[in-house]
Amino acid sequence: MAERRGSVADARAHPVYLRSGVSEAEDQTERKFIERLAQRDERAFNELVELYEARVFRLLLRMLGRRDEAEDMAQEVFVQIFKAIGTFRGDSKLSTWIYRVSVNLCKNRMKYLSRRHTDGEDELEPVAERSALDEAKGVTFGDIAQPDRLVEGYQLERALQICIAELDPDFREVLILRDLEDLTYEELSEITGLPQGTVKSRLHRARSMLKLSVERRMGEKIP
Amino acid sequence: MTDPGHDELDSEGEPDESLRSMLKGALREDLPAPNVLAGVQRKIRERSRGKFYADGWSTAKSPLNTYLITSLLMLAVLAVSYALLSPLVGSPEPVRNQPAPVQLIPR
Repeated sequence: MAERRGSVADARAHPVYLRSGVSEAEDQTERKFIERLAQRDERAFNELVELYEARVFRLLLRMLGRRDEAEDMAQEVFVQIFKAIGTFRGDSKLSTWIYRVSVNLCKNRMKYLSRRHTDGEDELEPVAERSALDEAKGVTFGDIAQPDRLVEGYQLERALQICIAELDPDFREVLILRDLEDLTYEELSEITGLPQGTVKSRLHRARSMLKLSVERRMGEKIP
Repeated sequence: MTDPGHDELDSEGEPDESLRSMLKGALREDLPAPNVLAGVQRKIRERSRGKFYADGWSTAKSPLNTYLITSLLMLAVLAVSYALLSPLVGSPEPVRNQPAPVQLIPR
């Protein structure tokens, strides 16, 4: 996407940082962008959707485990953002706020789906070809040309998806946001509304539970 | 699996690198994300009862095709108009008739 003046992407080239991870230029550009959004500028909103749709969809897919649900929920997230952008006070980064809206809507959806018993493991979708359990680190598509390793990779992915889906949503969200989306503890704290200590503790427990669960399912010890 | 009240401990949540690497290696791919923009615009248009995204020009990812088609249509209309009207265009034919002789009426 072409960078435009007044867009969030426009500020990325400026290296002057004021506070953690936010440069002066980025801060100002984001403020202008939010003003445009608050004025219900449709083109600004199009830009917002294009900028964040991949991240939001990926998060929702990891949380929900189903592509159709994730796609539908991603649309709903942006509709809610369009409605609520006027209430955004700029206390946090726009991306953090978007994550918070996504996570909250997603957790509501998960509660609804669990009542309907439709979030069973059979509906989890494989995403792509993967590597074996002990070699998952840094393996690329080109490395996994052998069929037996493809099967192992697929099994690992299935096991991970199932085990993540079995985690309590509160644990699942911190695990995905930290370990897959690479958010900071500060951002996690803003998204979940919990103190950083609680976030760390919860993340530690989530990792432990997931590790045990994957080992049990795969019959293999994670090094 | 629920949280049995261990949350408030200020644990460091030390990174279990092997698990984190495994998660990243196995799951963190650049998933092909669907284009949700059209769906979002449709939902906003419906729920706002046409207040937003109503004109069709602000919808869709890029109105380039719309501009292009409209321009080509206009060019076609101009070409047809020219083809139809061009036979009527030209320099005026000179009047060849001699003026009628003036007859003076005798008194």
